[in-house]
Amino acid sequence: MSPNRWLIVLLVFVACGTVANAQDVIFVANRGVQISGIKVSDLRAIFMGEKTRFADGSHAVPVILKGGPAHEVFVKNYFDESPNDFREQWRKEVFTGQGSMPKSFDSESALIEYVSATPGTIGYVSRIGPEANVKSLTLLK
Amino acid sequence: MPKRVLLFFLLCICTDSIFAQDLAGIEIHGFVTQGFLFSSHNNLLTMQTSSGSLGWTDGAINFSDSLTDKLRVGIQLRMYQLGQLGGPNAEVDWASGDYRLNDYFGIRAGKVKTVIGLFNDSQDIDALFLWTLLPQGVYPVDNEGYFLSHVGGEVYGYLPLGDRGGKLRYDGFAGESYLPLHGGYIKQIADAGLAFTTAPAGKTYGGDLRWVTRLTGLTFGASADIQAMDGTAPQGSVHLVPFLSAFYYAQFTKGKFYFAGEYNPAPARAFLTIGQAVIPIPVGARTWYAMGSYRVSKTFQFGSYYSYLADTGLDPNLAANYSKDWVISGRYDFNSYFYTKLEGHFLHGTALSYYASTNPNGLKDNSNLLAAKIGFSF
Repeated sequence: MSPNRWLIVLLVFVACGTVANAQDVIFVANRGVQISGIKVSDLRAIFMGEKTRFADGSHAVPVILKGGPAHEVFVKNYFDESPNDFREQWRKEVFTGQGSMPKSFDSESALIEYVSATPGTIGYVSRIGPEANVKSLTLLK
Repeated sequence: MPKRVLLFFLLCICTDSIFAQDLAGIEIHGFVTQGFLFSSHNNLLTMQTSSGSLGWTDGAINFSDSLTDKLRVGIQLRMYQLGQLGGPNAEVDWASGDYRLNDYFGIRAGKVKTVIGLFNDSQDIDALFLWTLLPQGVYPVDNEGYFLSHVGGEVYGYLPLGDRGGKLRYDGFAGESYLPLHGGYIKQIADAGLAFTTAPAGKTYGGDLRWVTRLTGLTFGASADIQAMDGTAPQGSVHLVPFLSAFYYAQFTKGKFYFAGEYNPAPARAFLTIGQAVIPIPVGARTWYAMGSYRVSKTFQFGSYYSYLADTGLDPNLAANYSKDWVISGRYDFNSYFYTKLEGHFLHGTALSYYASTNPNGLKDNSNLLAAKIGFSF
């Protein structure tokens, strides 16, 4: 294979990687949250109501989107299920008296606004602008 | 009945304006469902299902509030009518205070749902399931009340097993459970000559342990529940010696697929006392089911299950001693709040769901059942 072809293959891989990242969500937290990264397993547990604390021991409050592409990507990537199934799991918590439904938002901007103003909150969006007063969390293995 | 149906449709029409409410921190959620049952031969669940029956209405509303990061309180009121069972009055489904010290330990006290098996605590919440009727051998809709909740408390928590081990969820409970006066067991006992005016009750304690494995979506679990019951009626009494009921289960969710199975051997013996006569009644049953479903789209899901029950120690060839049920089911979600279900049952045996009062001419061994539901949840 010629060097040019190797370069093309490399560019295709890089492009695929960029697309994959574009199809994920960004996790945002209130600036008062002390952690900068979070394990995926902890993330799942927080958004299922199984964990109520971040790794540093502070209180974690998950907030979610009501629907839309970012919500679908979040549910698919981190729970491998449909938004309906995700909702029904929370409804089970609510109707059996075992938990409270996370606060949900119609838009990403409303979610970001709430997270920026509410201590301990963590949510997800498709993109984050420089003006957003929230902290972006990196995912840890 | 028509008034309830009218109320249901009014609620459905108002879907644009009704949604989960959050009033100054108090969350409000609720659901309402209306069922329709049509059977080919026998009448089921105290209804005239062979003529088609709309006599199945269910609804609940709950209020909850997080008083602190660790303390939450709530109450749920529920009303249901299933043929001659249930009634028009709302009753407390659960009412509890929940103190979660940390992720490893929490305590819930009051009237709490009993966590045993895969679906015991949620079996009365129709909106959660694809199925119109859950496998009746394990979760009989006409007799759900006795196992559904107890007055007492439970401890619960999650125990991490490391990156490779997944986690354990545990529940331990103790308290007293009551046999609802408007439930199926009381009606069956009344048909035998004992008419209770106060609910028979008994101590209950047990627990549930489920292993949420490292493989996303795969869970194994086991539950144990020890129950006793005593009640006195003007004509006599009923005495259920403490017995252990065990549940073993597994479920797997992967993308659009869902699979689950459960096994429940429940040997028990009750004694019915009428006058001087003490009549032993074998109420033990060995039951299991296996189910699977597939989500075709965001709005449509279908699936099937097979449910089996056999009374232990009785002639297995008599239809009255077993129940086998093949089920196919579909569910369509109009939106996040409003859904409908359609389900077909191919029933063999008559050990479940039948009552003498609505089948005065006896029972045929086999029957088919069409079950439909429409529901609204917020």
